[in-house]
Amino acid sequence: MDFTLSPEQLLIKDSVARFAAGEHAGTDKWPQFAELGWLAIGAPDDLGGFGGPLETLILMEQFGRGLVVSPYVSQVVLAGTLLRLADRTELLGRLVEGEERFAVAYEEPHARYDAAQVATRAVRDGDDYVITGDKVRVLDASTANTLIVSARTGDEITLFAVPADAPGIAREPYAAEDGYDVADVRFKSVRVPGASAIGPVGGGLELLEHALDHATAALCAEGLGLMSLMLEATVEYTKQRHQFGVPIGSFQALQHRMAEMFIEVELARSMAYFAAMTLGEEKDAVARRRGISAAKVQVAKSGRFVGQNAIQLHGGIGMSEEYKVGHYFKRMTAVERLLGDADFHLARYAAARGAKGAKTQAGTPAPVA
Amino acid sequence: MDLAFSPEERAFRDEVREFIATHLPDDIRRTVQAGDHLQKDDYARWHRILHEKGWVAHNWPKEYGGTGWTPVQRHIYYEEIAYGWAPRLLPFGLQMVAPVIIEFGNDEQKARYLPKIHSGEEFWCQGYSEPGSGSDLASLSTRAERKGESYIINGTKTWITAAQWADWIFVLARTDPSAKKQEGISFILVDMKTPGVTVRPIETIDGGKEINEVHLENVEVPVANLVGTEGGGWTIAKFLLEHERTGTAGIATCFQMLEQLDELLERESVDDRRLRERIASVEIELEALAFTELRTLAAESAGKRPGPESSILKIKGTEIQQAISELALDALGPYAERHLAPKYFNYRKTSIYAGSNEIQKNIIAKRILKL
Repeated sequence: MDFTLSPEQLLIKDSVARFAAGEHAGTDKWPQFAELGWLAIGAPDDLGGFGGPLETLILMEQFGRGLVVSPYVSQVVLAGTLLRLADRTELLGRLVEGEERFAVAYEEPHARYDAAQVATRAVRDGDDYVITGDKVRVLDASTANTLIVSARTGDEITLFAVPADAPGIAREPYAAEDGYDVADVRFKSVRVPGASAIGPVGGGLELLEHALDHATAALCAEGLGLMSLMLEATVEYTKQRHQFGVPIGSFQALQHRMAEMFIEVELARSMAYFAAMTLGEEKDAVARRRGISAAKVQVAKSGRFVGQNAIQLHGGIGMSEEYKVGHYFKRMTAVERLLGDADFHLARYAAARGAKGAKTQAGTPAPVA
Repeated sequence: MDLAFSPEERAFRDEVREFIATHLPDDIRRTVQAGDHLQKDDYARWHRILHEKGWVAHNWPKEYGGTGWTPVQRHIYYEEIAYGWAPRLLPFGLQMVAPVIIEFGNDEQKARYLPKIHSGEEFWCQGYSEPGSGSDLASLSTRAERKGESYIINGTKTWITAAQWADWIFVLARTDPSAKKQEGISFILVDMKTPGVTVRPIETIDGGKEINEVHLENVEVPVANLVGTEGGGWTIAKFLLEHERTGTAGIATCFQMLEQLDELLERESVDDRRLRERIASVEIELEALAFTELRTLAAESAGKRPGPESSILKIKGTEIQQAISELALDALGPYAERHLAPKYFNYRKTSIYAGSNEIQKNIIAKRILKL
């Protein structure tokens, strides 16, 4: 039982923290990420890859603390895991080199986060498939060279890699509340060769769910970074801010609120690690779902509590666009709901829980009957 | 980073599990499983069995008969105790006064008290709170007046678990009323058979009679029963409270309670999505807390003392215990099952004892957040 970081992990942490502390908003830092090797986390050795879910956690927590809103999760963790699981080494290699950008188009209108709700169809035509359907809130769709789209091939779901400029694709980009680049994407009779299937035909949902779990774990780590910074900023502020002749942090009503925020951050920290560990242990799908959804529920609930109270305890200054805490709060609000909000993951957890299995807790064995 | 238990630790877990399965008397297991109150004899029997095995003194140094377990072993032991429906031994002797005597007591005191605590021959209880002194313990007014080679003690101690069974009580009393609040307090051991000691049971809202008020009226105690220095009691009190706070999270027990709740719902064919999600929600917090406990354990294994972070375990652990007892009650509706309502009422105590949860938040604010 040892929670200390290895020298290599400390190195990642320090280099990401240095980057996150500097000026990073605005321009595209992707080439720099590639150069620093960050795009290779989780990739196989022969692509120069290293590390796994824990290294991703370390990086994402620092991104959260520095409010680095980047395509990292959507690219390296979501698309990268999909390509790795499907053994698409060549495409993954281009991702790692920073040469190719991806967008995973899986969510549909009214699906409410559920990746299994797919009405988009891919109809076989000779050696090709013809894809028709609507996808919403696709991350990085306007900068992607390649879209990875989920579509029904018969009853089953298959993933296809489609050039973003293929005839029949219409992208409607917009900026989300945290500034993130998203788009609704329509596919109208988009023709792709059969070889563009990612993973086995009919095996898309399993792949997608697995990769989404990796991406969700990474978001949990980002959320942890965001909320820990918001707590620190709030504690600091209440020590500086004087009213009634004393620092407002000396009032018990505020102290207890911050103690509760602290508890929430620590529970979220535990679950962010728990999520990374669940993925690292290559558990079966039910245990994995359970562990990841548990983590997302905790991070979403904790993040909302910490974020809302960070604004509240800052008072008027917390509402100001000039001050940092509001921006952390906005990103936290997106992270809370991205890839499934607390309600979605609670239902998913409850369903996985119904499928009676061993407890997910690390060392906790199934009890003696 | 290595978050797995070692092969030795897993072997230890198997050993504990096997021992409990083969040595815990069936009637005691059934009582614990049913959530009924244990009697003195139940504790005494289980104590003797563990004593024979050498598994009673988890936080004593080895030279005094301690188990010599690592923090992780201790954790594993308590998990297995919960999973095997074994009782936890009463903490007042083994976990509270014994470490105090070892740390602050003299050789005579060690020789007189420790062996009988270890063997379970003598039961202890804790004389801290008073009717007028709860969270503000240092305001206590029980008086110990020096008279030759004796102290004459007068006062009332309250909320005392197991006083009706106890042979001894450790008492915080004011030996110097003129000194500053914390400085005039001493830590004194009192034989419950001494004339002037009376025990009055306090019935709690769940119908239980596990706590008592203890009146001390002109109780004459030899000066030799003072532990540490006269006026040094507050330091001891703080030392002891730190020992008290660890292990109040009851996480393994909560996992057991959730499992019982699942079984209850199955038996009664309760299938309600809203309820299932409430249970799931509590279980997720429990998972988060369990992992938090492992983190504090890892820190402890690395040689750090249990810090103020243990306040998180106290607050959330007791909140979760209460939430589960509440869910069980809600699941079946009014007047449903004999045990459920008493358990729910009884569990309200958990956020009050061992430093109320509000006091724990003060500790977090002051000692961690430095507010």
